[in-house]
Amino acid sequence: MTSVPALALRGLSKRFGATLAVDRIDLDIPAGSFYGVVGPNGAGKTTTLSMATGLLQPDAGSVTVLGVDLWAAPAGAKPLLGVLPDGLHTFDRLTGAELISYAARLRGLDRATVRGRRDDLLAALDLEDAGSTLVMDYSAGMTKKIGLACALVHAPRVLVLDEPFEAVDPVSAGAIRRILAAFVESGGTVVMSSHVMALVERLCDHVAVVGSGRVLAAGTLDQVRGGGDLEGRFVELVGDVRDQRDLTWLRQS
Amino acid sequence: MVAAVVGIRLRTTAHLIRREWWRAVVLGLGVLWALAMLPSLLIAQAALAGQDAGVRADAMVVIAACLALGWAIVPLIVAGLDDTLEPARFRMLGVSMRAIMPGLVAAAFLTLPALFLAVMLAILGSSWRVDGPAVFAVGLVGLALGVAGMVLGARVSAAWGARVLSSRRAKLATFGVMALGLAAVAPVALVLFRDGLTEVLASEVEIVLHQLALTPLGAGAAAPAAAARGDWWGVAWRLALQAGWALALLGVWRVNVAAALVAPVGRGGGTRRRHDRVLDPVRLPGAPRDAATGAVHARLLRTWSSDPRYLASLAGVLLLPATFLVLVMPVFDLDRRWAYLVPIILATTIGWGRHNDVAFDSTALWLDLVSGRLGRQVMAGRIAAVAGWALPVVLVAAVGILAWTGAWQDAPGLLGASVGVLGVSLGVAAVSAVLLPYRAPAPGASPFGAEVGAVGAGLAAQLVSSLVALGLVPVVVVPFVLSLTLASQWGWVACVLGLAAGVGAYVGGLRAAGAIYDRRAGRLLAAVA
Repeated sequence: MTSVPALALRGLSKRFGATLAVDRIDLDIPAGSFYGVVGPNGAGKTTTLSMATGLLQPDAGSVTVLGVDLWAAPAGAKPLLGVLPDGLHTFDRLTGAELISYAARLRGLDRATVRGRRDDLLAALDLEDAGSTLVMDYSAGMTKKIGLACALVHAPRVLVLDEPFEAVDPVSAGAIRRILAAFVESGGTVVMSSHVMALVERLCDHVAVVGSGRVLAAGTLDQVRGGGDLEGRFVELVGDVRDQRDLTWLRQS
Repeated sequence: MVAAVVGIRLRTTAHLIRREWWRAVVLGLGVLWALAMLPSLLIAQAALAGQDAGVRADAMVVIAACLALGWAIVPLIVAGLDDTLEPARFRMLGVSMRAIMPGLVAAAFLTLPALFLAVMLAILGSSWRVDGPAVFAVGLVGLALGVAGMVLGARVSAAWGARVLSSRRAKLATFGVMALGLAAVAPVALVLFRDGLTEVLASEVEIVLHQLALTPLGAGAAAPAAAARGDWWGVAWRLALQAGWALALLGVWRVNVAAALVAPVGRGGGTRRRHDRVLDPVRLPGAPRDAATGAVHARLLRTWSSDPRYLASLAGVLLLPATFLVLVMPVFDLDRRWAYLVPIILATTIGWGRHNDVAFDSTALWLDLVSGRLGRQVMAGRIAAVAGWALPVVLVAAVGILAWTGAWQDAPGLLGASVGVLGVSLGVAAVSAVLLPYRAPAPGASPFGAEVGAVGAGLAAQLVSSLVALGLVPVVVVPFVLSLTLASQWGWVACVLGLAAGVGAYVGGLRAAGAIYDRRAGRLLAAVA
């Protein structure tokens, strides 16, 4: 394993009007790690990952991908990254197969390579039948899977995935887990955000807890959770729901 | 429920004004304009009151018919007047059509344009007061029913337009409407060009007015004339026709709202395509060969042939040149050579229409952004997809006009100027699309809606891009004008200069747009999301 981090965030900040969404985040993601980013709703996970993948210009700070400065030298850094954002549209008037081809051709792959990889990905993600239907007719889980295929098609060194398992059925989730585990096994790096602590504990070897735009804790899974489980540590770090009010009117009978 | 629905409309407007000050300015200017119109309306009323009942009825029928047509057509052209009460937004709430319909109707009538329309027609209609209270009452009722038909007609045409364009037959429907529109204006133009406007006014207008007064476009406005003649049967059936028309429109709108409340979001209609058009595109002349550019080009070709928002703008580009040819030229009795403006206007509207092209991808453009430093390729692919159909269309229009005028000696100049204008306006549009993008209707949304919050940035972008285009276009056209007015030798100069300027501006615009795209890559998504 190299000592250059796969992804290094330095003093990354982003302000939207009056709210400071990301507040000087520093984070090193070691190469070859399976890194989980967890945090409550509105913690700034998606904003951070957007700035780390070239989708959102940071107000301050820098991002380096395997030592290449993403915002200063995007032509060198972007080919190293595979990205799956959350909550954005896709080019949904293309068929699934065409969308994968599109992502691959944008990355400059030649036709023969694209054809092979496209068919491999459709098969691996159980989308063979869906390959000829328009992405606009896809379910949420299928859209996630086709997005993942687009992120994988150019064989990146670092994968940045925002909620990759959301809405994905258990069988497909198993397939995705195997793909990602094999990718990390072979030396790749995966950064993944999730709300499901059990999934992060099961898959990731490193984890960062983000809250109010800052990194509250980061390190190997065992370092962060201490003796207990991740969920307990998470609630301890970000605080529980303040007002434990009973919804008595919701009780049946 | 009425209060709740209207309340939503008022509250969203208030929130928007608080967030964006210029909305208040636009609103204030609108109110000021309406107030400034009042004196001229009162003068018009006095003038109408001085005429005899027949002339007054004719004038009111013309006004009512023009307004009715305007209310039906404008929502299809001017995108997104207001979408806070888009019925589809009530989908998640599980309310029934019956429950929200009264509120939607009330809200439709409580907009500034609708209120102004009602006040305006009430003022003009008051000119019937000189014929006694009974005729006056009939006049007001007839106009009120007419207003109902206009406001409901606007809703129906927007709802229908959106529905047709998002259906599986959108492409067919678009071309059908374009063909129908041309077929409808062709005979009018023919008669106008053959006989001249004054002749037509003298002989045909009488008949047209008489016919209009028999349709829902003018029946309500014509009713008081019947009352003044003492023809109370005539009053009864005219008012009944006008009321029936409003009720019929209401019924159609109800059906549309009911459909919108349960319509699924995805609208691919289960289309299946085995062939991968991105990987193996149809080989078109001039299609880009580079991998990334070719992929973007192939994607945009798919969009142009299936996305309602693009189909709507495809149909829209014909409107201005057709209006000029069919209405402006005969009305001002212009020389046939003025028709040379048609391909030039067409080229300008097509080019300028793409000034917000990038935003039409909405947030899906993340894929272009993460895939590398691809500004040049993305913009080249995008604009090439427009040029691919725009160039033939403009050339066909130019050749068609030349065939009509028969002045083939003007061909080199006209073709050169048209190509030049198209290249310049596309180049300007490419730069504007990356420099000043603003939110466009999202994919799958009504092509006639605007995104809330887009109008301010939109106004600035529209103003700047049209000013730049209007500043550059005449420069390209000057040699061609000289060839018509000064010496025909200028025609060849216009040809060479036009081609050079067109190609130069196109290539230069794409390069500049590509460079700006790369520099602003981190801001584009936020600008269109």
